[in-house]
Amino acid sequence: MTTEVFIRELCQKAGIPFAGVFERGRKEGWLDAEDEVYKDTPITRKNVARICHMYLLKAMKASDLDISGAGMLKDLYDCRVCANHVAQVYLRGIMDAKNIRRDGEFWWFDLNGEDDDAYNSAAIDRLLLIHVGDHVHQDMSGS
Amino acid sequence: MSGPSPIDDHRLRFDDFDNSDIFSKKPRLPAMGWNSWNAFGSGNTEELTKAMVLKIKELGLDKLGYEYVVLDDGCYHPERIDGHLKADKVKFPSGFKAMADFVHGSGLKFGMYNDIGTRLCSGAEVGIYGYEKTDCEDYFKWDIDFIKVDNCYYMWDNATFADPENAKYSYAPVIKSIGIDGVTYDAANAAITGTRAEIKEDCVAFIGTFDGTAPDHSPVGLRSSEIIFEINASEDGIRDLFVTYASDAVEGAGQWLQVAVGEKTCFDALLAPTQSRETFTVSPAIKVELKKGANKIRIMNHRRQENTLHSYAEIRRELENAGGRDIVFSICEWGKTQPQNWGHKVGDSWRILNDITFQVGSDGNHGTAAWECDYTTSITSQYNKAVIMDEFAGLGRGWNDPDMLVIGMDGIDNIMCRSHMAMWCMMNSPLMLGVDLRRVAKGDEIYNIIANEDLIALDRDPLGIQAKRIFTTYECSEPDKEYIRDNNRIDILAKPLNDGSIALGFFNLSQEEKEVPSVSTDEILNKTGGKTVNKDLFANAKTYRIKDLYTGEAAETESRVFGAGTLAACDSKVIRITPVS
Repeated sequence: MTTEVFIRELCQKAGIPFAGVFERGRKEGWLDAEDEVYKDTPITRKNVARICHMYLLKAMKASDLDISGAGMLKDLYDCRVCANHVAQVYLRGIMDAKNIRRDGEFWWFDLNGEDDDAYNSAAIDRLLLIHVGDHVHQDMSGS
Repeated sequence: MSGPSPIDDHRLRFDDFDNSDIFSKKPRLPAMGWNSWNAFGSGNTEELTKAMVLKIKELGLDKLGYEYVVLDDGCYHPERIDGHLKADKVKFPSGFKAMADFVHGSGLKFGMYNDIGTRLCSGAEVGIYGYEKTDCEDYFKWDIDFIKVDNCYYMWDNATFADPENAKYSYAPVIKSIGIDGVTYDAANAAITGTRAEIKEDCVAFIGTFDGTAPDHSPVGLRSSEIIFEINASEDGIRDLFVTYASDAVEGAGQWLQVAVGEKTCFDALLAPTQSRETFTVSPAIKVELKKGANKIRIMNHRRQENTLHSYAEIRRELENAGGRDIVFSICEWGKTQPQNWGHKVGDSWRILNDITFQVGSDGNHGTAAWECDYTTSITSQYNKAVIMDEFAGLGRGWNDPDMLVIGMDGIDNIMCRSHMAMWCMMNSPLMLGVDLRRVAKGDEIYNIIANEDLIALDRDPLGIQAKRIFTTYECSEPDKEYIRDNNRIDILAKPLNDGSIALGFFNLSQEEKEVPSVSTDEILNKTGGKTVNKDLFANAKTYRIKDLYTGEAAETESRVFGAGTLAACDSKVIRITPVS
């Protein structure tokens, strides 16, 4: 799924116009310039996390959760600019992580990975189902 | 790109790290100002920056020393345009020169941000790598006074977002043996320097430098390892050296090898990869020049430090070539390559760890910080490392940078914020505010902390000596050198000042109330050594003026013992002791 298609689907499901969203979303603080410049490239998991988290903050007026519960994600701190985005969507159950070790636990968010269309669509659904004020939404870590 | 540049300038070499600087550096005190990152993350804008400038003036923070206004990541258009950096047109519609003019017009100084890699940490494809000259000329045209340079997407190390396999440049291969004159010398029997390398199954791995990004390793002592073979030569001459090795591209086992005889480098290049880390092969002949008698053949890889220094030096050089502007150079490679060893050669300060918070704010959101945590993202995580790094810092050398202030963020109370400010001032850290200043009013709690002139005076003291930890309640033999991460303790820091006074800081790191031990003048002077100005006067004074730097209360005492009574959780007390007679 490209970034543009992701944003288009988010707009459609949220009931907001897609036309002009790149400029409007940036002014509202939930989109970045790169979303428009690279709108035709496949969206990475860290960018899905960023857009979902910032939409949650800026459009849905949610408050951040304490991110200490996401400390088990081994790649969380690989990304200074997206660590909070990743932690917030993980803790709210919008996106999951995978245990990539067979003989123990090594939880991996996979920042630069890409999900299929169905997963990204479901992430948007989960985002829009959040009621502001909810705390840890659901634990998807076993998926 | 086939690999990192050759390093022909010996001043960039590990063996020269302790020697003189490459550039003529202006001795300067730690920078003070406001940086956009902790307050607004990637969401900073021209409008917000102007509001911060106006608030700095309204609050009189500029008169206290807060002079730099720095745009961090998120301010650029995400691609180069005609090969140049451009401002993000939505966030900074008037462009960077107009922003600089506004900042300068307000009597402040203007700072910007870039990255030694191919991209910025935000992902914008405008990293300075390969564009050093172009970008520095543009920075010069924009009249910048400060630049912070990050380390994401770096080509020659496994830095954040870089190819993890770049570790091949940062470590030597696993070494089994060397051969010379038909004799085989086993690596397991060679001398190993430092504590990084280890012997496993008769081979030596981890020949390289500790990664200091996370808080796991002490910054004190030799942070890298070599193996050294002592070879006796019957006569002077050039010999063929063969190295039996296995390569990999992970932390601890790489592909890049350096060989030196004494301080003379004979080989500095990538070896051919082996099939696996367990499959050993013999290198091509490496010419080494031996002298009759004992020779030290060093098998090593210091490229993690040398490459990073080289990259920062390129930028510094191009900034100087662009013009004579006085620019503060803030190295932000997060302590990854132990910059306390080499940062003084190019920079005015060097970050010592990964970020102090990953929950930065945005317009309307304060962001969140913490007093303690297992990783770098807390006040005490940064303090615990910086507090034993005093010997690396100094006027004319540069400053340890435990990251920007988090005062005003959620998650920490005013007592923690006050201790945080005091720690940073005692440790001569750069003081970069990270709060949305629109929330601050003269006389409120945040203002009273960030505008404490007595604390700031410690950071601005012209003697420029970082406080030394002279005592800790944690059991250890060398409080000034031992890396302590257990916060259930009290620390006492002493900082000699230019007028012959000594600032004494008592810090309760724990989250419970504690009784604070006292220290005597003799103990203070013994630990601060020859750094105290007019040590005899301090030692022999009959009375001392004591000023509490939080309350401003002053008194004279004949006592030669100083304490802080009981300190609440995370609380602190800082006094300035001045010999009177």
